[in-house]
This record gives sequence, C-alpha cells and structure tokens, in this order.
Amino acid sequence: MPAKKIPPVLEILRDNIMNYGNPLALKPKENATWAKDLLLPTKGEILFYSGGEYQLLPYIDSLVKTITYVDSTSKIFSWLMEARKIVNLTGINAEKIYASLLAKDKARFYSINYKAVVILQKLGYEVCYDSQSDLYSGALLYELGFWRDLKNYASRLTEIIRKTQAKTLVCISPHAAEMFKLIYPQLIDFPQIEVITFIELVWRKREFLPPLNFDNPVVIHDSCRLARELGVSQELRDILSSVNVKSVEPFRNREWTTCCGGPSKMLFPQISKIVAGRRIAELAETGARTVLTSCPYCLSALQSGVDNSSEIMLEDFVEFLYRGFEK
Amino acid sequence: MVDLNKEFGAYSKNLNKASKDSNINNAMTRAVKSYRENVATAMERYPHTPELAKEVRKIKEYSIENNEMLLAQAMDAIEKNKGKAFFATDRADALRILRDLIGTGKTVVKGKSMLGEELQVRHNLEEAGNEVWETDLGEFILQLKNDRPMHILSPAIHVPREQVAEIFSEFFQKEVPPVISEEVGIVREFLREKYFNADVGISGANVVAADTGQVVIIENEGNVRLCTGAPPVHIVLVGIEKLVPTFLDAMKVSEVTWRYANYTAPSYLNVISGPSKTGDIEKVTTYGAHGPKEFYVIFVDNGRSDMMKEESFKQALYCLRCGGCMYECPVFQVTAGYYGRTYLSGIGSVWTTFVDGGVEKAAPMLYTCLRCGRCVERCPMHIDVPLMVGKLRSKVIEATD
Repeated sequence: MPAKKIPPVLEILRDNIMNYGNPLALKPKENATWAKDLLLPTKGEILFYSGGEYQLLPYIDSLVKTITYVDSTSKIFSWLMEARKIVNLTGINAEKIYASLLAKDKARFYSINYKAVVILQKLGYEVCYDSQSDLYSGALLYELGFWRDLKNYASRLTEIIRKTQAKTLVCISPHAAEMFKLIYPQLIDFPQIEVITFIELVWRKREFLPPLNFDNPVVIHDSCRLARELGVSQELRDILSSVNVKSVEPFRNREWTTCCGGPSKMLFPQISKIVAGRRIAELAETGARTVLTSCPYCLSALQSGVDNSSEIMLEDFVEFLYRGFEK
Repeated sequence: MVDLNKEFGAYSKNLNKASKDSNINNAMTRAVKSYRENVATAMERYPHTPELAKEVRKIKEYSIENNEMLLAQAMDAIEKNKGKAFFATDRADALRILRDLIGTGKTVVKGKSMLGEELQVRHNLEEAGNEVWETDLGEFILQLKNDRPMHILSPAIHVPREQVAEIFSEFFQKEVPPVISEEVGIVREFLREKYFNADVGISGANVVAADTGQVVIIENEGNVRLCTGAPPVHIVLVGIEKLVPTFLDAMKVSEVTWRYANYTAPSYLNVISGPSKTGDIEKVTTYGAHGPKEFYVIFVDNGRSDMMKEESFKQALYCLRCGGCMYECPVFQVTAGYYGRTYLSGIGSVWTTFVDGGVEKAAPMLYTCLRCGRCVERCPMHIDVPLMVGKLRSKVIEATD
C-alpha cells in the first residue's frame, strides 16, 4: 500500500465535498428536514442559504471524538479509511455511520436554520429556500488548500446560485458569506448578487425585534470571519441594544477577538479543545454567564471548551433572538 | 516519497504534549499578560508608534523591491569603512565563509540570532573544533539544556527558574538556588571571562543601513556590546532582507521593532560601522584600538531572494521579528515553540517553507495555523499571514496530488 501523503481526514473531507456536495456526505434532502414545515417558496428575491453548516455540527463533533480517540495517523485509522472505501462501494457512507453512532444535539443545530427563517419572516422579509441550491459553500476546500478542486466546485455552485435568480443571498454562516462575497468573485465569474449575513439582514430591521426579558448581561464571542473578514461586529451589539439586553465586553473582542479553536478541530482536536476552553475562560471573566455567537463552527468549538460543571450557557444569536418570538 | 502523514503524527504528539506541559502553560500565561500590558503602556507613552509603523512598512516595501541595489551599496559602504562584506547564497556558503574566517581551536562568543539558528552556526563551529558560547541568557540556558528556542525573543520562555537552578547547579558544579538574580549573577561572572578571552564575537543584526553600511543591533542584556566589542574579531551574520536605504530608515525600523517587541526603550542600541579605530597619535588611523581590529559582515540569502520574487510571499520579508504575533496566537499561547521548527507560529511556517526545509517540512505548521488573523492585527507591518498560509496549503496539496 503506498504511503498516504496527507492526513486521511483531509482526503475524506475533500472527497465528500467533491462527490456529495457536503463535507460529511449528508444528502440535500436530509439537510433540509428543518424547512419542511415552513413551506418556503423555492424562488424569490431573498434566498436563505444554510450550506448545511449547522446541520453538520453534531456529526463533526462525533467524528472529532472518533479522531481524538483513534489517532488519525495510526494503523487503525488507516484501516478504518480502507474500510470506508469498501463501505462506499456499497453506497453507504462510512463517516456518517461512525459519526451517527455518537450524534447528539441534532435537533438543536437543525432548528437554528428554522428559527433564523422565522425571525426573518417576522421582520417582514419574504425568504425563499431551495434545498437543491443549498450545497455546501466549499469553505473547507478553501481553508484546507484544495484550491484546484475549489475552482471546479465553485463553477458548480455558481451555476446553482445563478439559476435561483435571487437578488440577495442571506448566509447564516459567516464562512459561507466570506466564500460568496470575498473568495469566489476572485476565482470565477460569480453572479451579481448581494451577499449578506443573517446578522446584517436582521440589523436592518432591528427596531422590529420584540424586546427580550433577559435580566442578566450577555457576552458576545465575535467570530473571526464575521469580525475580521466581513467587518461585522457593531451590528451584533446594536441588535442586543434594540432588544434591551445588556452586553459586556471581553478583554479581546471585535477584530481582536480570540479564535474559538474550531479550525484545528479536525487535525489537532486536543489543541482545539484547549483553545476553546481558554476562550471560554476569557468570556467568563466578564462575569456574564450567557455567551452569544453567530457562527456554527464557533458555537460547536466553544461548546467543547465548556466544562460540564460550568455555569456558562452558550447560544447562537439566532436561538437567543428567537426567544422573543416564543412568548 | 515523503509521508506527510507521518510528519503530522510526530509533530502532533509533541504539540499535544506541549499543550499539557505546566511549565509552558505557566510561562506563556505570564508572558502573554506581561507582553500585552507592556506594549499597551508603551503605546500610551509613545503614541506616534502606529504611524511610524506605517512609514516603516513603506520603507520595507521599497527595500525588498530594491534589495539587490541596497546589498551592493551596503557591501561597498562596509568595505569603505574598512570592514569586509561577503554574500552567501545559501547555508553551506554562509558556513563555509564563517569557517574560513574563524578556522579551528578558537573561542567564540555569540549573541542571539535567528539566522544563527537557521544556519545552526554553533553546532557547525563546534564540529570544526571551536569552543562556542551563547551569551544571551536564554540561549545560554538552552545550550546547557541541549534544547532549542521556544520564542524568537525569549528563547528559554518555557524553562522556569527551578529548572534553571538545576541546570546551572550541574554545570557550575555548585548549588545554585532558584533565585533569578543569583542565576543571572553566576552567568555574568562565567561569561565575563569568556568575552575578554574570546578570539571571535558573532552577532546578528536587526537592520542594516545601506548608505552607511551601519549595522544596528537592539538588546537589553549588554551581552551584544561585549560580544561585539571585546574580542579582536567581530562577524555579523545578517539576512539580506534586513537592508534599508538610509541610517535614518534604520532608526525608524529599530524603534518600531523594539516597541512591538515589548521594550518601551531597550537598554542598548548598538550601531556598528566598521572595526575599532583611533587617530589619537599623530592623526594616523590605526585599527583595533579597544574594540575589534577586524569586522566582517556576511549577508545571507538562503531562500530569501526566492521569497522576494514571489508576489504572494514577499511580504513575509517585512517581518521585523518583534515576536508580537506569537503572543497573540491562540495556538502559540499553549504550545510555545513546539508550533514551529527554527521559525515559529504562522509567520514561521512561511519562513520555514522558503528557508528551512521547504513546503513538506512546513506542512504540519501550515495546518496548525487557525487562520484566525489576530496576528495581522498585532503585526506592526500588518503582514497577512492567513493569506500566505492558505496559499502555501494549496502548494502542499499540489505537491501531494
């Protein structure tokens, strides 16, 4: 058997994205289960784009646990990878099998998309959603250096986005927004479409958000992508002010924010967990016990840094704002 | 075929081990806190610094574009100053020049130099039969510990005083208490004798002014003063990226470097133009008065000109080596120099690719970077490390496809 040249986990992610349009080979239909009760039109001016990113999280977490326990450079892991190829021949995806065995919080992460769309609807936005156009953004191909594959993938994705004829693409994940707004236009002839994050769209109509009856201060964990690449940080604070919630600032925030550790989750899961724990400690130093973020990977990575005995409660901005509509 | 997976495996084990090392953890926590406080205080006291940094970025941009011309100018100026300048294309060339100048059986005192680490100068000179002493306290500790630097400015950042006491007690054959002032004192006494009996002093340089041929070295301990002033021969090893057009430019680069390197004002700024000289007797210039009689500068390329040619990567050469980015790197904060080889952390992975092993050796480092971008915020030159890391990852993949 020839020596494996790059860590197998990278190969898996690449193969899955290129072959299935999703890092963990989740099917579009499965990705879209959150939307079935919303009966959203498939065509419209504002296209909601999930990219399947929140849906990936429970699987990624489980996969990371597998990687942490089974050294990704060991013979056992190589054997598992070989097994994967055999299983793939039979049409079943191996990662999904071992990931599913440990999958938790699936309902929670899937529902974030649902809640985001409801919030947008309540604010008066007419949102459309097409599960077939909700292909993964390709951010991991970019991050991990699969740039040749990325170019092919970008063409495929661009064609799908173009066909929707939407004027605005609203991304719930800042990683997807970065790809559509900053990366793809450099690579290919990307459609002339407004790319906006969920946060920015909510910010435009923040005065219509119902006030929240939340007495304790919260602390914002700025996502690196959102704050640095997309320049969105004040918007989060403005939204909280508009719902009468007091936020406190950690020592490192906005463009100086500390990374959640998420990017090294696949290759260096132990380091990722330590980095997450340290960030949680920074956030906890403010005295706030509720941490809010607006990035699926930050949410997932930071969760791994929260000790079981900790009083810290971690929520996505979507979950937090949705409280106002649950009354 | 190089099995990158294996490289990742060994590296990853060390990284995980480092992240659980309480010595590293305590030392880094203290260092990060003190760095942030000191730099904040320094910026308050000298608020012109960020503007000066912008000016320095322009100086560096110009200097890298015109490096060949500046190199010729600097070499000429050094010769006019009665020094001797050499150009070394790579590591082997640099070591050959160095060995030719030093020979064998000599005592050499050396100041801290990242280029020295890159070229593995000490080991090489020892192999050639010389006695070499690192005189920077941190480097001295590592020399005795047979370890490598864990930070570019504070190389022994991971060794607490208790461990230093153990190392010193064994080396000096007497009980050295874990009291920092006593630890510093015993090294001072030991090295003092070495400076004055050494045949050669070696130093690096923070910046070189091409017009005057003046070499500038920032330091706090005073070891560089002694290394470069006491022995009869002084040899400077410097990367070609350190050249700037004028002496005034060199001063601007220096101020920005030390300010972001945690020094409000360094204890010493050494400016060396040539050998020591006097004209006090009959106005006849005589070389080798109190300082070195011979002064040599070896300009080293070793991959730097390749970096200069690459539009995407030449900004890495603007690095002032202040080390600020490392204090802000969430991974470096928990692993110190285990996130690296000779050069450390994100910027180090770019340097490793070009000057210390190529993209294969750099691969584990390149994938350790979170690409979070806080280093860019801290960097006085605003070097876009995440962008370069992304591009180099794509080269790793291309090389293995």
